[in-house]
Amino acid sequence: MAEETLVLFKNIRNPKYSKSLEGYKKAGGYHTLKKVFGMKPEEVVQTVKDSGVRGRGGAGFPTGLKWSFMPKGTGKPSYLIANADESEPGTCKDRELMLKDPHLFLEGMMIGCYAVGCHHGYIYIRGEFFPAIKSLNTAVEELYADGLLGPDPLGSGFHLDLTIHSGAGAYICGEESALLDSLEGKRGQPRVKPPFPAVSGFNGCPTSVNNVETLACMPFILGDDGVDAFKSFGPQNNSGTHLVSLSGHVKKPGVYELRMDVNMKDIIYGIGGGIRNGKKLKGVIPGGSSSSVMTADEVDVLYNFDELAKIDTMLGSSAMMVFDEDTDVVQLLHRITRFYAHESCGQCTPCREGTHWSRNIIRDFLNGNGSDEKLRRLDRVGGNMLGTTLCALGDAAALPIQSFVKKFPDDFRKYYANK
Amino acid sequence: MPVFHIDDEPVEFHPGEKILSAALRNGKKIPHYCYHPGMSIVATCRICVVDIVDLGNGRPAPKLQTACSVDAAEGMKIETMNQKVEEGRKLVNEFLLINHPLDCPICDQSGECTLQDYSFEYGSGKSEMDYSKRVYGWRDIGTFVSLERNRCIQCSRCDRFTREITGTNEFGMFNRGHELTVDTYTDRPMTNKFQGNMADICPVGAITEKEFRFKRRVWKLKKNRSICTGCSTGCNVTIEHDRNEVFRLKPHENQNVNKWWMCDEGRLTYQIMNERKTRINRPLGRVGQNLQDISWEEAYRAIAERISEMEPTGNEVIALTDTHASNEELFLIKKLLKDGFLSDNVFCPLPKWEQRESEFFINTLITTDKTPNRAGALALKIKGDPGNVEVKNTIDGELKVVIVLGNPFETEHEIQQKIKPAQLVVHIGAYHNCWSEIADVVLPGQYYSEKKVTFTNKMQHVQATDIVVQALRRSRPEWQIIVELAQSLGHKYSFSNINQVFAEMAGETKAFSGISFDQIGDQGMKLTQTFKDTGMKLVKAPA
Repeated sequence: MAEETLVLFKNIRNPKYSKSLEGYKKAGGYHTLKKVFGMKPEEVVQTVKDSGVRGRGGAGFPTGLKWSFMPKGTGKPSYLIANADESEPGTCKDRELMLKDPHLFLEGMMIGCYAVGCHHGYIYIRGEFFPAIKSLNTAVEELYADGLLGPDPLGSGFHLDLTIHSGAGAYICGEESALLDSLEGKRGQPRVKPPFPAVSGFNGCPTSVNNVETLACMPFILGDDGVDAFKSFGPQNNSGTHLVSLSGHVKKPGVYELRMDVNMKDIIYGIGGGIRNGKKLKGVIPGGSSSSVMTADEVDVLYNFDELAKIDTMLGSSAMMVFDEDTDVVQLLHRITRFYAHESCGQCTPCREGTHWSRNIIRDFLNGNGSDEKLRRLDRVGGNMLGTTLCALGDAAALPIQSFVKKFPDDFRKYYANK
Repeated sequence: MPVFHIDDEPVEFHPGEKILSAALRNGKKIPHYCYHPGMSIVATCRICVVDIVDLGNGRPAPKLQTACSVDAAEGMKIETMNQKVEEGRKLVNEFLLINHPLDCPICDQSGECTLQDYSFEYGSGKSEMDYSKRVYGWRDIGTFVSLERNRCIQCSRCDRFTREITGTNEFGMFNRGHELTVDTYTDRPMTNKFQGNMADICPVGAITEKEFRFKRRVWKLKKNRSICTGCSTGCNVTIEHDRNEVFRLKPHENQNVNKWWMCDEGRLTYQIMNERKTRINRPLGRVGQNLQDISWEEAYRAIAERISEMEPTGNEVIALTDTHASNEELFLIKKLLKDGFLSDNVFCPLPKWEQRESEFFINTLITTDKTPNRAGALALKIKGDPGNVEVKNTIDGELKVVIVLGNPFETEHEIQQKIKPAQLVVHIGAYHNCWSEIADVVLPGQYYSEKKVTFTNKMQHVQATDIVVQALRRSRPEWQIIVELAQSLGHKYSFSNINQVFAEMAGETKAFSGISFDQIGDQGMKLTQTFKDTGMKLVKAPA
C-alpha cells in the first residue's frame, strides 16, 4: 500500500502550520538558506547536480546541469525565473505549494538565485491564480519587511530582489522561451533555439527558467544529508519525491507527494481509493494532457520518468488523469484537441493548421460523420505535427491524437459503425 | 573558409552562418518563406527543412531540421532532396494551403508567388481538407499597400519589417492558432514611407502594391536592371515593363547602396517613364514666336551657322545643366564648352541637402536631394553654389550662346529672365519645361530608362542604367546630341558609344580614373578619388 512521503508537503500536511513567515521559520524555514549563503555558488550547483533532481515542469531535464550551463563573467546580469505558469491540463501541484506554503518555494527560489548569481529573480505566475498571487505577494512583502529580501539578506551581502509578474492566461507562455518573451512585454511566442535561455534569455542575458516544484525541492536538497535522503526516494536517475496531481474518476482525487518508485496501480487503487462507483478502469493520461494515453492493461508500471518513457509515454508534470469504462474517449480527445487548437500560438505552420484541422475531424466523429478514411486522416494529420514544430506544443497536440487513435480505435468506430 | 556539404557538393560558409544563408549565397536552392536575410530568424514556416545526415561529428540529426535556424558546421553533410525531406515539405505545404483561398487567377502575386512555386514544385497536388476555410475581409491598410488576409501564410515578414527595419511598429500579428493574422493596430493606417517593401517581401499575395493592382499579369513583365533616379541615393532597381510601358520599380539587392529596400516615392517614379504629353518628341526650331518641327540636320546646321555668325568669346557662352544629367553628359558639355569656346561656364544648381540620420538603415535612404547625379557634378567640378551667386554674376554680362541641359534653375525666375534675351538658346532635354519655351532650338533627349549612362550617388558610387524601354523614334541620348553638336561645329569627336565617352572621362578626370564602363557592373563602383564636401547636412529622422 503506497503512502505519501512528506518532503515538500511536510508543512502543508501539518494541520497546525501557519503559512506566514513566522510560521515557516518556526518549522525550521530559512535555515538552509543561511547555510547556502555560507557555500560557494559552484558548490550549490554541484550539490544540486549530485542530488539528481530533474525538472518537475514536464521535460525532466536535470536541474543542476541546467544551472551549470549558465555562463559566468559575461558582463551581463544573470536571471533566475520561476515558471509558475502552471497550465498543463490536469496539473495543480504548483498552485498548492504557492497557496499553502509560499515560503518553501521562495526559499528554494532564493537558493536558486544564489546558485546562478541572480540578483533579481522573477516569478512568472499564471494570471488566473488570483489566490496564489495574493499569497505570494504577502509572502514577498513579509520577506522584504524582515530583510530577507533586499540589500543584505541574512547578513550575506547578496543583494536579492524578487518580482512577481502575472501572465495573461496563455498556455504557451508556460514554454520557457515564450515565457521570456511575455515577461519582456512582447507577444508570448516560443523563440528559436539555439540560443538557449542559458546563453540568451531574459533581455538577452543568461537565464535559467525553473519550475516551482523544482525550486521548492532545494531547501531539502541543500539541508543536512539532503542529497542522500533525496536520492533514496526513488530509483537511479529518478530521485526525490514528486507531487502527483491525481484527478478523474477516482474516489479521492487530489495532490499527493509520492516517491518515484511507486506503482501506478497503487496510486490509482491505493491512494486514489480506486475507481468511483465501482466502475472499471479504462485508461490513464499519465503526465498532463500532452502525454500519450495508457490503457488499463498498461498501468502496472512504476510512476517515474524512465519507466514511463520505456512504454512511449511520459511522466510530464506528474498529472495523472484517470478515466473509467463509461468515458467517451472521442469526446475526451475532442476536448483535449480543442484546448490545443485554442492555445496554439499560431506562429509555425504544422501546429497552427494541424491542431484546428484535427479538431474539426474529431468533431466530425462526434457529429456522426466519421469514417475509416477520417480515422486514418486524423492519425496522419496528428503525425504530421509530431516533431515538425518549433516548440513542443505540436508534439503535445499530436501525442494524444496518435495514442488515442491507436489505443481506442473501436471507440471511434462506434460513432459511425451503424451508419 | 570552412566547408560543409549539401547533396554531396561542397559549400563554403562564414563561421556562425546558418545553413540556409550559406546555401542561398552559394546558389543552392532550399525553399523558404519566413527567412529573409535582412531580418531576424523565426523558423516558423518550416518549409526549409533539410535532413542533416552528419552533424559534423559523424552523427545524424534525430529529425528534420530547419535550415534557416541551424548553424552550419565544418564537415556537416546535408541532404535536401531525399524522400524524408520531400515528405516534410509536402506536409508543410499541405498545411499552408488548407486556409489559403487559392484565388490565383485574380491574385496579383500570381506568377511571382513563392507559395505557388513551391506548391507546384514540392506539393502533393491534392488536399484532404474538406472544411470551410478561415475567412477575413479585405483591408485598406495604408497609402501604398492593401491587405488580403485570407492569402496570408503567417510568415511574419511584414510584422518583422515594421519592427526591425523601419522601427515604426505599425503592423502586428493578431489572434492565436489558426486565426492568427496580420493587421495594423487599432485601425490606424500605415504611415511609413517604405510600405512597398512589405509587398516585395510578402511571399504570397496578402500584401500587394495599390499602384500595381490589376494592371498587368506579372509573367508578362520584362525586367531590366537599372537604378532609381528619384533621389541621390540611387537605389538599385529592376524596372518592370511590358510593351514599352513601365509598370513598376522593384528594389534589387545591393549591400553597398540600398540593401534590399527602396522608398515608396522612388517606386512612383515609374509614372514619369510613361509620361508622353510633355515629352519633346522631335527637334524644334523657333520661327518668329513659334517652335516648328525641323530635322536633326537642320537643327545642327542652324546652330552651327548662328554660332559662326556671332563668333562668341568664352565669356559670352554659357551652359546650364541640372544634376539629372549623367556623368558622361556633364563631362561632354564641359568638354564642348572648353574645346569650342575656351569657356568654363558650366553651371548647375547645388543647393544644400539634408541626409537623415537614423538607427534604422532604411531611413537613411531618403534624402532631400531629389536629383540622381549631384555627386557626379561635384566630381566633374561643374560650377555651382547654394545661392547660385556665381551663375548670376556670370550671366550679368552679354550672352550670345546658352546651352541648357535638362531642367536646371527651374524656380529661379531671375536667371530665366536674364537668359531670355541671349541670341541663341539651345535646350537639350526629354521634357518640355520653362527652357523649351524660351529656347531657339530644342533637341529631344531621352529619359534615363531609355539610355545607357552612369550616375554617381551620394555615397560616390558610380552606377549604370540600362536601356529598358524603347525611346521615342526621333529622340537621341543627350551624350550623343552633344557629340553631334560638337561635330557640326567642326570638332573631331569620335565617340560612337557610351563606353568610349566613359573611357575618355576616366582618362581626363581624376575621380573616375581607372574605372571602365564595363567594370561598373550591376553592383556599382566607388569613385577612385572621393571628395569630402558634398553639401550634406545631417538631420535626425523624425520620430
